[in-house]
Amino acid sequence: MSSTTPASEYIFLFRGVHWDKGLSPEQLQHVMGQLVGWFDALHQQGKVKSGHPLGDESTTVEGRRGRMIADGPFVESKEAVGGYLVVQAKDLEDAVAIARSCPNLDYGTSIEVRPLLEECPVFRRAKEILASAA
Amino acid sequence: MGTPTTKSDYMLLFRGTDWDEGLSPEQLQQVMSNWGNWFQGLIDQGKVLSGHPLTNEGKIVSGKKGRTVADGPFAESKEAIGGYFYLQVLDLDEAVAIAQQCPGLDYGIQVEVRVVAERCAMMERAQEAAAQAQQLAGTPA
Amino acid sequence: MHDVPDKSAPPTDVSHLADHLFREESGKLVSVLTGIFGLERLQMAEDVVQEALVRALQTWPYYGIPKNPAAWLTQTAKNLALDLIRREKLFQAKEPQIITFIENWSESAGTEESPAFESEITDSRLRLMFACCHPLIPQESQTALALKTLCGFSPAEIAKAFLTTEAAIAKRLTRARQRIRELRIPFEIPSGAESAARLDGVLQSLYLLFNEGYKASSGDSLVREDLCREAIRLTELLARHPVGNAPRVHALAALMLLNGARLQTRTDSEGNLLRLAEQDRTKWDRVMIGRGIYHLAYSAAGAELSEYHFQAGIAACHCSAKDYESTQWPQILSLYNQLIQVDDSPVVALNRAVAVAQVHGPAEGIKTVRAIADGQSLDSYYLFYAVLAEFEAQLGNHEAAANHLRKAIKLTDIKSEQDLLARRLQECEARRPRETMA
Repeated sequence: MSSTTPASEYIFLFRGVHWDKGLSPEQLQHVMGQLVGWFDALHQQGKVKSGHPLGDESTTVEGRRGRMIADGPFVESKEAVGGYLVVQAKDLEDAVAIARSCPNLDYGTSIEVRPLLEECPVFRRAKEILASAA
Repeated sequence: MGTPTTKSDYMLLFRGTDWDEGLSPEQLQQVMSNWGNWFQGLIDQGKVLSGHPLTNEGKIVSGKKGRTVADGPFAESKEAIGGYFYLQVLDLDEAVAIAQQCPGLDYGIQVEVRVVAERCAMMERAQEAAAQAQQLAGTPA
Repeated sequence: MHDVPDKSAPPTDVSHLADHLFREESGKLVSVLTGIFGLERLQMAEDVVQEALVRALQTWPYYGIPKNPAAWLTQTAKNLALDLIRREKLFQAKEPQIITFIENWSESAGTEESPAFESEITDSRLRLMFACCHPLIPQESQTALALKTLCGFSPAEIAKAFLTTEAAIAKRLTRARQRIRELRIPFEIPSGAESAARLDGVLQSLYLLFNEGYKASSGDSLVREDLCREAIRLTELLARHPVGNAPRVHALAALMLLNGARLQTRTDSEGNLLRLAEQDRTKWDRVMIGRGIYHLAYSAAGAELSEYHFQAGIAACHCSAKDYESTQWPQILSLYNQLIQVDDSPVVALNRAVAVAQVHGPAEGIKTVRAIADGQSLDSYYLFYAVLAEFEAQLGNHEAAANHLRKAIKLTDIKSEQDLLARRLQECEARRPRETMA
């Protein structure tokens, strides 16, 4: 699984379904304090490039010329992304280590860690194919 | 962006990493150049602030204290996210209209349009105040 | 590919949230929203508030904590409530009126100078308090409901405090909400003839809430402290309002504060229970004692004397003694003598016996205990034997003391109490004459 071109930027996609259910205001405040602290520390170390929470509403566009427009996926769905963070890390291993320190994991959130690329892999593949076809 | 009209931020998440299967080199080239032009155009208009493709590798971290670290699957999946754009546009309609222009749609890519949760005015003020306080602290009396 | 980094770094010196901010704000917001939605839609108010807190959780970590977190939460709850009202078309004819109210609410809530609205919030909270403590709701449901709605406890936390299951608490809450709907319990501060009796009901519930937290016997210690704190908060809120500005309300607040001030010192750093004589008095909470004395002074206005008065008086005697030896036992005994007139429960009688022994000697203490034991069901109460053991030990009867302690240990399931009793047992056995150790 080792990357041939180690990327320096990684995106964290936060996913979680109703992980806050059953927590009292007091517990929510506690979780929030931990999260703010985590974000803050990453910022101070200069590891965060950007990050945003995403709103609950979502619209999906698909089909030829984007003919189909549908609401969803909804935040209730497992696939829905609740927020993201672009993080600077040495390599994938380092990025995973940062992700593992996220306090929200204890409450059922999962984090997808993906390397950011300057060039789309599909296009790179396309270029290769084109090169070999030439 | 000289106009004072309020703009909102949106994310376009491109789902599907298997869409190139079975395409001819010619088609691939076409999609590629269409996509490139589309992206460049949006940047020139100041509508895309950033955008990145994601590689098909990566990990999913979950469980208490991040105990579970699993591989993808991110390759050749309909749901996996293959890239994103960060947009700054007038409203959801404009964001959806941009999504509808995505050249990958014809090949099965799904574009998810998400509102970036607003930073409320109160937070902006708090940050300004914090920044000012820092400045003041930095200037000798 | 281009990348224009978005400047989204949160301020680095994020001010920390006030302790219990979420809990306190949720109690306020649930009360105000219940006033808007109606008591029969209590659950809806709770859900809206929870959602507002979750929104905070989703955004604050990214952008930093807002300068006025309470105003942010209010604003968000207001927006969510407006969405809900418009989407569900809940109120039909009343809708425009309600929307106007909510909009005004948020405008005044953002600023700190809105005494009119502050008093509106207080009124809403008291209305909810009176509704939760309505005599037609079963007692155990009353306290659970008050904790859930007014204090923002989760069913799991309430279950921990009451040593029961989450499911049992959920059932109590459902039953309470059902009763409210069925009986159309009003969302109002009672007035006129029924107000005194209704106030007593609320005081009873608050007292139970406090006691649940205060009794050293059981439960998670952090949750128990929270129970005490919440009971004090609600009682003081009540005492500040004209409807609750009665001597017995101040007396209740005083008794909670004067006992609560000593809560932290009842265990040592390892969680072992400490007896009054062993507690570090320098660690008693001076601020709470001060507030307690303040309420005690107000409780003396008027001719009214309640059981809360005597209990507060006893607590004040302990708090004002600079060490165990200088405790004013004759005064405590006289207060117990009065208390037992209004509350002749065996537990009060047992506590009185301790004061009797302090004033008249351990032999008198034993006599007093024996007198209550007649026909009463104290034999299965571990403290009965623990108290007797104490008196016997003071008389030098270490053998008898040890026997009582063994019984006491068997009668309690609580580890910290067993440990304290076992410690005493060891001391007694060590002092027992050698020849009796066969």
